[in-house]
This record gives sequence, structure tokens and C-alpha cells, in this order.
Amino acid sequence: MANTEREKQLIKGLQDAVIYYKVDEARKLAQAAINEGIDAYKMTMEGLAGGMEVVSEKFDSHEYFVPETLLCAKALYGALDILKPHIKAKDGGARGQVVLGVMQGDVHDLGKNLIKAIFEAAGWTVHDLGRDVPLAKFVDEQMRTDSDIVMLSAMMTTSMVGMKKLIPMIKEKNPNVKIMIGGSPISEKTVEEYSADGTADNAPNALREAMQMLETLRKGLATA
Amino acid sequence: MAEMTGLERVAVAITQNGQSVPDRVPVAPLVCGATHRFSGQTYGDWSRGIDVDAFVHGHVDALEMLGHDGMVMLLDLSVEPEAFGMPVVYPEMDTAHPNYDNPWIKGPEDYAKVKKIDPRKSGRMKFVIEGIKKLSEKIGKTHAIVGFLYGSMGTLSMMRGPENFFMDCLEHPDKVMPAIKVIDEVLNEYALAQVQAGAHSVCYDNLYASESIASKAVWEKFEGAGMKTVCDTIRNNGALVSHHNCGNGIYFDKIIEWGAPHAVSHAYVADDVDSWEEQKKKWGPKTTTIGWMPPGPVAMLGTPEEIEEEVKAEIEIYAKGGGFIMATGCEYPPNAPLRNARRIVDAAHKYGVYA
Repeated sequence: MANTEREKQLIKGLQDAVIYYKVDEARKLAQAAINEGIDAYKMTMEGLAGGMEVVSEKFDSHEYFVPETLLCAKALYGALDILKPHIKAKDGGARGQVVLGVMQGDVHDLGKNLIKAIFEAAGWTVHDLGRDVPLAKFVDEQMRTDSDIVMLSAMMTTSMVGMKKLIPMIKEKNPNVKIMIGGSPISEKTVEEYSADGTADNAPNALREAMQMLETLRKGLATA
Repeated sequence: MAEMTGLERVAVAITQNGQSVPDRVPVAPLVCGATHRFSGQTYGDWSRGIDVDAFVHGHVDALEMLGHDGMVMLLDLSVEPEAFGMPVVYPEMDTAHPNYDNPWIKGPEDYAKVKKIDPRKSGRMKFVIEGIKKLSEKIGKTHAIVGFLYGSMGTLSMMRGPENFFMDCLEHPDKVMPAIKVIDEVLNEYALAQVQAGAHSVCYDNLYASESIASKAVWEKFEGAGMKTVCDTIRNNGALVSHHNCGNGIYFDKIIEWGAPHAVSHAYVADDVDSWEEQKKKWGPKTTTIGWMPPGPVAMLGTPEEIEEEVKAEIEIYAKGGGFIMATGCEYPPNAPLRNARRIVDAAHKYGVYA
């Protein structure tokens, strides 16, 4: 269905509110959409996610850095809190599900929170376990939610080493799940050494990598 | 050429960059937290700073076992925030960190809580100063002792929680800036105290001066002038200025403009170059590089052959003409095999001899 003029206006307004991190404006426009009976799913995907795509581009090109991106995410969540209760289950659903958390012994959750914002904006369901997460909790949450991907974050080598133990624990319960690892001590070599499935050096790249993993997973299921 | 002491080797690499070379490439794999394993303490107790003699003996024994040329006086990045009032957690087997469940600065109004303290009398800052003094007495004539402090943005971010701090920098700069100025004053005193205790150099950690975190404009606004004052104090009191930044895309133009460091310890290249070869060409003549072996993938997980290859490659790229100290790009992982630190040193001895 083509967007009406008002829908277009609200979508553009929500995009700009996210891009220029105007929290109050984002909330105001989201509330207006609900009050006017406009499709909350469309506002979320075309407005908020559309805005966050531009933010990702600005982050990639070093126009935006962590402080700006965090404020964009703040604006996004301000509007999403209002829109989310009005999104119906039939509206396309989530693109994928991810379990996300910072490894046990580690409290650095900045990167993890940026990942969460980018993924939620892109329509993923994110099960955020927070920071300093016990290993077994990742396994349990993946099993409980049947998530496609588990994402493990570590900023220190002392917490990174837990991944080596955790990855087989997750794969043993569900060999099909994909595991991404990230954080400053992580490299492609770590991915190989710990038998993970991938890594990324920032949140937008993590989303691209996850989209590819999801495609692989779904192709695999279709041919099984 | 007669064999130099570690101190002489480091001093030549830093002060005579491009003019003269030491007998061989100095090597310092940033063995900091890992020295707890020589000190007879748990990592938790070592971090708490309760036994300065054990701290000193850990560093001295590490020197004897590993053979490096200099050491850095880093405990962890929560030394300064804790001294101001931030609660810190000391895990027995992990690095100490702020208790982010209970940040000392809970909202923008709380930045006003940051008051001037005396580093010579406060918490683990006092411990670090005492540690430098005792180490200086023991090995200060033969090995380079590099003091350490976490920059004002880093320190304040740990009292507020980095995420909220970064947003406050844009939303409430008027609340953030007075606290930064107080911290700048304290860091200036702390740097001076470390020099007076015997540090040959003091390292200013300006992590947020990199593309990984903040724009140049934001970093300069909050940390540039304060860092300059601290660096001038270090220099004017006879010590060398070093910086540490393990972020990606470091703003070398800005840290040199504001801090004029003799040496920079770093893990990645500057924001305006694409390779270590370019880094050497553009920034090598202006400052000495201390780096850049990846701590996790190579120093911790690398095979002996991979470690040796990495050292060889880095020396080939960067050591010509001096101005290079072989090191890890960030702290040697406190839980990594100590044998690997020795391998770094051995490989630097093997490949780092200047003809």
C-alpha cells in the first residue's frame, strides 16, 4: 500500500529525529502516529530503522562516533517504546533472533549496547543478557528462545578465554546455531581458534555479518 | 657497540629517534597485571595495592625472568576513579573494575561531586607513587620506569559509566567540563608526584582520542588542554612524555599538537594512514612508537613461531633508524602464558640488533 502524505511526513520526521538525535521529537512523532491510527510497524521499519541506517552510514564514514550514535539510539528507543506495543504479530515479524551478552567477569557493555540498538532497529529480536553473564545462561537462553545467533562480547583477554569453553557448550545443545564474537581482543584468529562463526569490528558490520549468517541458516533449513 | 642497559636502550630509542640507534631494539612487553604471578599474590590482592614490597618484588622478578628493558606502572584503569570516590570491584582472577551497578555519578548534577584530592594521600594513587619510589631505588639506574595515569575523560567516564558519559558530553557539556578541570588538576599533581618518585617517563592514556570513540572536536574540547598541561609538567620536570592509546585510528595529529609525546604506545595506526609502513614514514620522525603486537591473538594465543614472526616483521617495518620499542599494543594479558612474554623478548634480541 502506498504511503499517504501524512505517513510520509511522519516517516521522514522519525528518520530525522533518530539521525539528529532528537529524543523528544521522536517520542512526539511516535505518539502522533499512534493517536492517528497509523501503522506502528511501518513507522518502526521505515522511520526508525530507516533513520538508523543513515546513522550506520555516518558511523562507517566517521561522521558520527560513539557519543552521537548512542544519542541516536536513545532517540530510537524513545519512539520504539511507544510504537512497539502497537505492532501486531502478523506484521512481518522479526528478521531473526539473537542472544547477546558480555562474558562473565567483564563489565564493558558499550559495544554490546550499540549492537543491540542497531539490531533492534533492523527488526531483529534481541535477547539481551547484559554484562558479566555466567556461561550457562547463554546456553539456557539460546535453548529457551531458539535464537538463530548467539553474540558474545569481551573487552579483556581474561573474559575472552571463557568463549573457548562456552562455544562448544552452545554447539553441543544446538549445532546449527551461529556464534559471533566481538570486542577489542578478538580477531579472525580468535574466531578460528575458538571455533566461532564470525566477528565484526563494529555494530553495522556485525549486522551485515549476521544477515549473511541468517540467510545461510535459512537456506540450509530450506534444503534440509 | 658496548652493551647498553635497558634504561640507556630505551632512552636512546626515544630521545635520539632518527639520529642514533641503541645497541638493539628495546623490548618491553607491557607486563603489568601479569607481574602478580611473580609477587606471590592473587590478582585481586595485587590489584588492591595492599603490599608495596610484593608489588616491587613482582616487577623485579619479572625483569629477571623475562629480560625486558622497561616497565609500566599500570595497575588497572580504575585507580584514578576510585581515588575520587567510585566504588571498585576486585575479582580474584580478573582485572579490577568500577562497580557500574552503582556509579558514583548517577546523573548530570552529580558531576559537581568531583572535588580536588591529593594523589600523594589518596587510595591507590598513593600506592603507585610509593611503588615507583621503591622500584626506582632498586632498578632505576638500569631499567626504564614508566609511570601511568588515565586521562581525564577516561577517568570521569568510569565514574559515570562510559555510555552515559559520552551522551553527557554532547547533552550536558556545561556539567561535564568543570569536573574535567578538577581531574586535570589532580592528574597534573599525580604526574609530578610520579616523576619526583623516580619515573623516567609518565604515560598519559588518551584512549578517547581515536576513531574508536569520539570525534577530534569532542576529544579536543574535553581533554586537549588538560593533557597539554600534564605533559608540560612531565617534560618540565625532567621526564619523558609518553602516551598510550589502544584505540583504532588514533588522532596522531592532535595528540602531538597537544601533548608532543616523545613516545606513543599503540596497537593500531593513526587515522590518516593505512599501514605500519605509512605510519613509520609519516609519524615515525615525530615520535617513537612502542608497539604493536596484538595482545590477545598473538601474545596470548600465538604459537612460538607466530610470536617470533610477528616480532621479526614489526622490527623490519619500524626499527630502521631507531624510534621503536618492541612491545605489545596494550597490556600483556595478565592471564597469558608468561613463556610468551619471554619469547617476545628473545625474538627482539634475535632480530633487533642494529648492525
